[in-house]
Amino acid sequence: MRLSGSELLSPSLRARLEHLDLVSRKVLRGGMRGERRATRLGHSVEFADFRNYAPGDDVRFIDWNLYARLDRLFLKLFFQEAERRVSILLDASPSMQFGQPSKFDWARQLAAALAYIGLVRGDRVRIETLGQPLAQSATPFRGRVSAAAMLDRVASIEPEPPLPFSEGLKKFCVRTQPNTLAIVISDLLDKTGYREGIAALTARQLEGFVIQVFSPEERHPDARGDLRLIDSEDAGATEITASRAVVLRYEAKLAEYVAEVREYCRGRGIEYLLADSAMPVEQLVTDLLRRRGLVH
Amino acid sequence: MLPLDALSAWQWVVLGAIPLAIVLLYFLKLRRAPRTVPSTMLWTRAIEDLRANSIWQRLRIGPLLVLQLLVVGLVGLALVRPGWTSGPLAGRRLILLIDTSASMSATDVAPTRLMDAKRRARNLVAEMQPGDTATVISFSDVAHVEQSFTDNRHQLESSLAAIRPTNRTTSLAEALRVTAGLTARTRNTPDADIPHVEESPASVFLFSDGAFPAVESGLLANLQLTFVPIGTSEARNIGITAFVAQGGAEAQTSLRVFARIENAGPQAETTGAALYRGDMLIDNKRIEVPARGSAGVEFELEELEADELRCVVERGGALALDDQAWIAIDPPLRRTVLLVTPGADALELALGTPRARELAVVEVARPDVLATEEYQKKASQGFYALAIYDRCSPNAMPQANTLFVGALPPGDLWRKKPPVSAPQIIDSESLHPLLQLVDLSDVNFASATPLEIPPGGRALVTMDAGTLLAIAPREQFQDVVLGTELSAATAETSAQANTNWPLRVSFPTFVLNLLGFLAHASDARSLVISPGQPIPLAEYTAASELTITMPSGRTEALTVSRGQPFHFSATEELGVYHVRAVGYPERRVSVDLLSSPETNITPREQIQIGSAEISGQARWEGNRREMWKLLLLGALGVLAAEWYIYTRSG
Repeated sequence: MRLSGSELLSPSLRARLEHLDLVSRKVLRGGMRGERRATRLGHSVEFADFRNYAPGDDVRFIDWNLYARLDRLFLKLFFQEAERRVSILLDASPSMQFGQPSKFDWARQLAAALAYIGLVRGDRVRIETLGQPLAQSATPFRGRVSAAAMLDRVASIEPEPPLPFSEGLKKFCVRTQPNTLAIVISDLLDKTGYREGIAALTARQLEGFVIQVFSPEERHPDARGDLRLIDSEDAGATEITASRAVVLRYEAKLAEYVAEVREYCRGRGIEYLLADSAMPVEQLVTDLLRRRGLVH
Repeated sequence: MLPLDALSAWQWVVLGAIPLAIVLLYFLKLRRAPRTVPSTMLWTRAIEDLRANSIWQRLRIGPLLVLQLLVVGLVGLALVRPGWTSGPLAGRRLILLIDTSASMSATDVAPTRLMDAKRRARNLVAEMQPGDTATVISFSDVAHVEQSFTDNRHQLESSLAAIRPTNRTTSLAEALRVTAGLTARTRNTPDADIPHVEESPASVFLFSDGAFPAVESGLLANLQLTFVPIGTSEARNIGITAFVAQGGAEAQTSLRVFARIENAGPQAETTGAALYRGDMLIDNKRIEVPARGSAGVEFELEELEADELRCVVERGGALALDDQAWIAIDPPLRRTVLLVTPGADALELALGTPRARELAVVEVARPDVLATEEYQKKASQGFYALAIYDRCSPNAMPQANTLFVGALPPGDLWRKKPPVSAPQIIDSESLHPLLQLVDLSDVNFASATPLEIPPGGRALVTMDAGTLLAIAPREQFQDVVLGTELSAATAETSAQANTNWPLRVSFPTFVLNLLGFLAHASDARSLVISPGQPIPLAEYTAASELTITMPSGRTEALTVSRGQPFHFSATEELGVYHVRAVGYPERRVSVDLLSSPETNITPREQIQIGSAEISGQARWEGNRREMWKLLLLGALGVLAAEWYIYTRSG
């Protein structure tokens, strides 16, 4: 379903997002000068270090005061103000099409909100999907002026055929430059596993933030009676007689799975957040993500 | 409890296999609703654990499966026809004793107690297994084998249905005697056809309200008795248990009628007792009867007439039979007595008293009359009620009771021994009707001839030398012989008296006894008998045909065969019976229940047989007829519930 820009981001939400910023724990490296402090030394007002002068260096950065005291030439180094790269990876697989509203719509709204924050702060924002080919990198957006184009891009994302989560994530990692803030929005419901993908985030030195989303129907299913459950992704069938005991068992397994994912992410320095698609995006961003330190 | 042999082995197997098949089908053919979910990953993990645990986890979760099994279970149970409270049949030979006495007509159990007893007995018959045999005995004061041992349920049921209530009293002893006879016969007869019958013990089921006297032990023998009390203990009943008419203060002209009324109910009752003459109400009295007690009511009638009196209590309660009682008063019956004597003052004098004249018509004749044709005709036709032969003897015995004085009846049945002088009377049967109030202690005889009594006879007065006075039966008649003459005097000659007896009070008393006992003479008579008792008809010696009209109006004609004593026993109906015969005045006999045990319809909780007390099993019901219906209804209900759940979930 195609959503309009205002459906993705209501004007009131936009107004609130104006005051927020994405938080990196790392000092980022952007390709262009931006508002972020980068590791590369450059021209900014923030002092970084001294080093010996070597021929060819810009004489404007020689510290003449030191030369006066020590009679040696030292070069003053400053941090370069760099732009930050933010990549938002959306899971558009069939399993995301469930829930009321669907997890996919909810994920798009969240992606738009996070991207908007980035744009407002001058970050370079990419919005990608799991099913995207390896070589085809999404066009980055930068600056507030790109907001409309970004929303267009988000709205145009279509559900994709099923693809192994880890495979998609690995491709994403290859495409993405290191030190990028990578926000992954997915339900992580994949029988082939999620670990390789998550591990790839760390391996690529991305600042990962995994938001696992479930719909209320998934967290507390109302299944009763004799059912033939059909998997939305691989069409595999499982026959169950959904008694109270079985449902309780399912909920326990879900909690187990969530705990397992959280533990795995934490072990790899990746932030993790469990979200419910019933929670309004606005509340999630302004409240939960703020508390979890992704935005401030 | 389930009779295991209700189904054969393979039928049980099939029955047991049905639920199993349902469970299997449940796994194989379960119709599951398809539902698409984001991922089956977690579901698979969830049920994998459960599967690993136990298969029953899956079974537990199917309401439909449970309901289906329930339906099959209920239908299966219904198939084996279980019963609620049916007692186990201890033996394979059942003896069903059905009480048909008057109290079983009480309506405290709808429709009547007897119907209830028959219903329960029928249920018992329905419970019989193949190979079981049963017999049906109905009893009141007599017992009837309605159906001898058979395994044919249809026969048993139809014989049960044929049992009718009676108005009689109850005697369990009779029933037990018949029962013992039945079982003993079977025990002792080595009948090769039914060998199994001998081995199995018999169970006796007694369906009764227990209104009978205690029974001596020994009758029960090897029988195992189950007493099933019929009736409710709260039943109220008021009935007449005694109804007597007596001469009043002025014996010849007034009549005092007394009735005792019993209340068998748990509460005191005030009721009315009405006295009817024919259909006309002549008196009515209120009477208060205490709970489980009795009260008397008395009516005084001024005139004494031949009459039918009827007493009726109002609001008589559950038993209607004891609400009425009849008494019929007949005028004195004066029969003809023939005295053949050569001339004896004593006998003539004694028969000539006003009282004797009142009771009988006395013809006096000389011995030569015995040769006349008229006498022979009258004697052979039973014209006389009593013939007295004083010192003479006829050629043939008359059709009448006789008294021989100083002579022997013709034939050689009676013999005499040589005469003795001055015999001493040493004993007399003072209880015999002839000798009631007859004191012979001051009587002396100068001489006497000891008698040899024919078979069946009985000595009434014994002296030191032998029998002085004896009585012996002859066909329906009685012959009394006095072994001495009273006096040798004749009409023409006088002689010394042989005895001082005629001078004693005991002589006229004896003669009056003679008239009463042998000539059936009495005052106004009111004969009351119990239902089923025979009406004595010995006095109708001269009649050739009797007509008896029953209370219902039905008339029965009886032909009297000469020389055969007979009774009329068809006295089941309560009320007044009219006996008519040519040459005899009409006679009325009333048949009344008048039985306190029958009126007291409260079912006994236990009965006494010998020293054993057998408690009633009031709830005993050989009844399982409704159980399978209930089960099937339950199965239908469950089926409906299953349908509802199925359509709702589907």
